[in-house]
Amino acid sequence: MKIVVAYKWAANPQDAEVGPDGTVDWSRAKGAVSEYDPVAFELARVLADTCAGEVVGLTVGAAAIDTPLARKAALSRGLDSLVMVADDALRGADGTRIAAVLAGAVRAIGDVDVVVAGESSVDVGDRQVAMTLAAQLGWAGLNAVRAVTADGGSLVVEREVAGGVETVVAGGPVVLAATADAALPRVPGMKEILGAAKKPTQVLDLAALDVPAPADTIAPVSTARPDTGNRQGVMLDAADLPAAAAQLTAALRQSGVL
Amino acid sequence: MTEAVEPDFDVIVVGAGPAGSVAAYRLAQQGLSVVLIERGEAPGSKNLSGGVLYGRVLDQVFPGFADEAPVERRITRHVTTFLTPDSAVSLDFRSDRLAEPVNAVTVLRARFDPWLASKAEEAGVFLMAGVRVDALLTEPGPDGSPRVVGVRAGEDELRARVVVAADGVNSFLARDLGLRRTEPTNHLAVGVKTVLRLPRAVIEDRFGLTGGEGAAHAIVGDCTLGIGGGAFLYTNTESLSLGVVLRLDDLVRSGRTAIEVFEHLLEHPGLAPYLRDAQVTEYGSHLVAEGGAAMVGTIATHGMVVVGEAAGLTINSGLTVRGMDLAIGSAIAAADAIVEAVAAGDVTASGLAGYRRRLEAGFVLRDMATYGRAPKFLERTGMYGAYGELAADVFHGVFGLDTTPRRHLLGVARRALKESPVTVRQLISDGWAGVRAL
Repeated sequence: MKIVVAYKWAANPQDAEVGPDGTVDWSRAKGAVSEYDPVAFELARVLADTCAGEVVGLTVGAAAIDTPLARKAALSRGLDSLVMVADDALRGADGTRIAAVLAGAVRAIGDVDVVVAGESSVDVGDRQVAMTLAAQLGWAGLNAVRAVTADGGSLVVEREVAGGVETVVAGGPVVLAATADAALPRVPGMKEILGAAKKPTQVLDLAALDVPAPADTIAPVSTARPDTGNRQGVMLDAADLPAAAAQLTAALRQSGVL
Repeated sequence: MTEAVEPDFDVIVVGAGPAGSVAAYRLAQQGLSVVLIERGEAPGSKNLSGGVLYGRVLDQVFPGFADEAPVERRITRHVTTFLTPDSAVSLDFRSDRLAEPVNAVTVLRARFDPWLASKAEEAGVFLMAGVRVDALLTEPGPDGSPRVVGVRAGEDELRARVVVAADGVNSFLARDLGLRRTEPTNHLAVGVKTVLRLPRAVIEDRFGLTGGEGAAHAIVGDCTLGIGGGAFLYTNTESLSLGVVLRLDDLVRSGRTAIEVFEHLLEHPGLAPYLRDAQVTEYGSHLVAEGGAAMVGTIATHGMVVVGEAAGLTINSGLTVRGMDLAIGSAIAAADAIVEAVAAGDVTASGLAGYRRRLEAGFVLRDMATYGRAPKFLERTGMYGAYGELAADVFHGVFGLDTTPRRHLLGVARRALKESPVTVRQLISDGWAGVRAL
């Protein structure tokens, strides 16, 4: 079974600066494997190990996503090989375009049975790239995936649905988007990072993928901080704990919460 | 001797700061296989702010580095200020001679460290990020004391002929081997730093700079509320680095917190014109070794050398705070000594003794010795309080034209001294100590 992990080399939100007016400055943010993607690496590796499968990492983005550090960061997470499309034409590309390029790369890799992705990217958070990729490929798409196992040529997939868990069987090729806690990702050790440098990486030429130009590009016109509500900003001195607790309950009663 | 296991690398360098990256680069350039292990997800990610890099030593490794590396500004102006609650007396040194050749630059480590590490990678170093080394691997050495043969991280072990500990001021690798004792608090200072964002043009206007020029301000006196230490203010391209360095024992004695002192500094009227409307973008604290040469202990042992801040190599002369240049100088010395030791097939403490020899012959240990008295000198509390008042009184006597007849400068000084808690004897003694220490 050939399994592709579609992941993002994303700007780390910890390095982003949010201005008082809600604008976000990403200029100092460093790249890393997007926070919700290691779960996808782990699901893919475990699945591959149970069915003698192969795991190929796939990421697309601007030229800066291809550094020795970035390659090792991905290849040390249980991949057998890595495929990248790193082209500045993809700088600032929206989720729909990224999904289209991912689809082109999946076709170029060939004979792929399943694509596993994280729930969303940590920097943009579109929550649609995996499903748009499925649509682009003409494959089935399943999100909210909490577990996947192989059963012969099929995949048994558990999904989180409102109020419970649903189990489905996918016979044909499928794109899966995992929940953030579907698996506990391993932290790569020194041997895995050393081994990563010996694994093959293939860089695909964007032009050769023949991805049609986007009909439109969606870009945010503004960003704002979330509404924090009507906070009272009351501070209680906790030096005397019982007194502070009494003050807290009195204040909550007064405001009608209790 | 135990059975020799073939090492994974010739050298393991722990810590991808300036010391670690330069050592790794220089080792790889001379043909050794090197792995550079960094705890952060990327070099520079664990670093706060930055500082002034006295860069001539880095020119030895990367000639003309300031043209290529992501440096912020070239320092052409050094200002030393004695601050009192309501006055500031400054000594302002600006010179084109500081610009060419480049003497000092400001760097933000989040940008600078990745560049240095990338140079090491280009030279063939294997950069391993996101790995925290848990312990040294040791075997009994020739004289019974441990011989370092590698490192352990999690369940993985890596072996090398030599380990370079470049793991910073708290170096637990050096401590692990008992090379560094727990420092007395008068050898340690706590630094609180912040990066304040300001538009480029505003910085250049406020600090009297043009183009890529920069200023470094050293401030003593009321900025630390009389606690032993000082403050600094550096210009970056589009931000300022502002910080305060406080002697740990004095801070404890004062009963204040470092944050309290730092907030006093942020709101000090003497700094307000520089800081107005600036936005805090980073904030944090760091320990600073201030023991001078006294703090540098054993820096080479069987299979391991200690470099940079991990070796206690920092200087706070009161006028300059130095760490990165000493780190780079020690990295060059260590790398060359390791190459020599590996070639000779002797990586015991005596085989690696060339490291200390090189440090003693170069500027690093000489400067540590030269400024060895500086911490003692700075302990004379007059430097932090009364002298600022005295200087302010003298200059107020000169410039404060209140329609009373002016006295001769000497008379003004004499009267100010008389009203100051500083005695003539103390002034002479401190003056002499200062000349000797600095």
